[in-house]
Amino acid sequence: MDKKLKVEFLGMNLESPLVLTSGIMGLSYSSLLRMAKNTAGIITTKSLTLVPRKGHKGPVIAEFNGGILNSMGLCNPGIEDGLKEVSEFKRYSSKPVIVSIFGNSIEEFEKLTEYVNHSEGDFIELNLSCPNVFDEFGLPISASKDKVYQIVKSVKSISKLPVIAKLSPNVYNIKEIAISCENAGADAICLINTVGTGMLIDIKMVKPILHNKFGGISGPCVKPIAIKLVYEAHQCVDIPIIGVGGVLTGEDAVEMLITGANLVGIGSGIYYRGVEIFEKINDEILQVLTENKYEDVSSLPYLK
Amino acid sequence: MDRRITLEIKNIRKESKSVKTFTFSYNLNAKPGQFIMLTDFECGEKPFSISDCTDNEFSITVKKIGEFTTRLFQLKKGDVLSFRGPYGSSFSLSDKVLLIGGGYAVPPLLFLSKMLKKYNADITIINGAKTKEDILFIENFKRITDKVFFTTDDGSLGNKGTVMSIVSPLLQNEKFDMIYASGPEPMLKKIVDMCDTIPCEVLIERYMKCAIGICGQCVIDSLGIIICKEGPVLDKEVVKRLSEFGVYKRNASGKRVYF
Repeated sequence: MDKKLKVEFLGMNLESPLVLTSGIMGLSYSSLLRMAKNTAGIITTKSLTLVPRKGHKGPVIAEFNGGILNSMGLCNPGIEDGLKEVSEFKRYSSKPVIVSIFGNSIEEFEKLTEYVNHSEGDFIELNLSCPNVFDEFGLPISASKDKVYQIVKSVKSISKLPVIAKLSPNVYNIKEIAISCENAGADAICLINTVGTGMLIDIKMVKPILHNKFGGISGPCVKPIAIKLVYEAHQCVDIPIIGVGGVLTGEDAVEMLITGANLVGIGSGIYYRGVEIFEKINDEILQVLTENKYEDVSSLPYLK
Repeated sequence: MDRRITLEIKNIRKESKSVKTFTFSYNLNAKPGQFIMLTDFECGEKPFSISDCTDNEFSITVKKIGEFTTRLFQLKKGDVLSFRGPYGSSFSLSDKVLLIGGGYAVPPLLFLSKMLKKYNADITIINGAKTKEDILFIENFKRITDKVFFTTDDGSLGNKGTVMSIVSPLLQNEKFDMIYASGPEPMLKKIVDMCDTIPCEVLIERYMKCAIGICGQCVIDSLGIIICKEGPVLDKEVVKRLSEFGVYKRNASGKRVYF
């Protein structure tokens, strides 16, 4: 790996600023391993819950011009099996792993955190923003700055690992939410999760395409939303930011970095450019650095 | 971008008590081994191997096993279904070939055998199942080649025993350019283990959700091969290196289920 791509994140030296985001290719150790080999700097597991979840019935995905609509429904093998996959990953790779967790209550988040404390994960990511699950927290969890604060604070008080809060774009007050995370002790924030929900219809059968009717939107069409929210969050917090949303190219990644992100998440981009997307984007970042006469990723300017 | 297509069922053929072939008028342009994702927008969405495909129509052959297929079995000619695909890798074509099929995984081999016949290949087929009732495409395969062998566990049709009871002696007497196999994974494992020097392609089934290579559901250990995109047809040299092959698969939640 080119030294120019090296970045520092919460005391860890990473080969690249690229992160495999949660929900994409993160179910099994071999999948995570392949993404790591394809030069992702950090990889994130699928969000793990206390008990296994089958997820929604299909169709769970629908493509459209500009993006992808999905309602996977948080399918995962449960925290115990999910963490076994992390251990198996660590037998073959020293790359840092973010363990994403999803709870339906503060107590569930706390229990999940205890599991992650005893795992080989390097970071905990709190999925506060899945748009497909509604419950006592309302719609979605991360729309409430108080709830976000409570969850982050509780997890932070028991976590042995740095805590990252994953935020939803479906809020009117991203600055307040980001500040709540920082005040509650979050070590970093990651944004954005999928946008919407949205809906697509099959005009011949006159039915919603997704079995769940509604789904979160990702892909290139969400990039401007992600850029704007990362920009706003960066203006009001000092903790590091993982910027996610619609990044397909090295130029997109650099755009995210200069907007205020310390690391850049890659998710749906895998659909557009294959699992080799990490290598491709890393190469393209190097080109952008050369063309614009920047020394390395760490010396990129930040948008004021 | 992958397009969704909605098609009327043009024909339904009963293959056995629990198996039906559904045919649709559409130039799918699929290759043998590839699959489509099928939904009725009610009972979910499932992958199905293509059992036949010409310039103007294609078929899938379905075994009634659960809620989704039970619903399919209630449909009549003229009812509509929605598709996306074709997806995945396909079998290559060779000159002197052996096709080995087991149980209800045989449909993609019917499509393959038709393509091989057009290609003027020298074709031998072994088709095995538990009992005569479960053997698919007896007449179809006989039309493809004279060299068709059937095996049943109970001896109700052809040789008594598994497909391996024919495969082993056959390989000692004849040389093949390629072996194609589709069937239960323990059977595939035996075939792959046996094909040390003979080229071999196998069709591997895994639980699929997105089918476009991003959700990770069908990824197989230890190489992280994405079955919906890089499979379902894999070369035996790749298959041999998969620690998961023949040992376990993952269910809808991603939990390992051992064979």
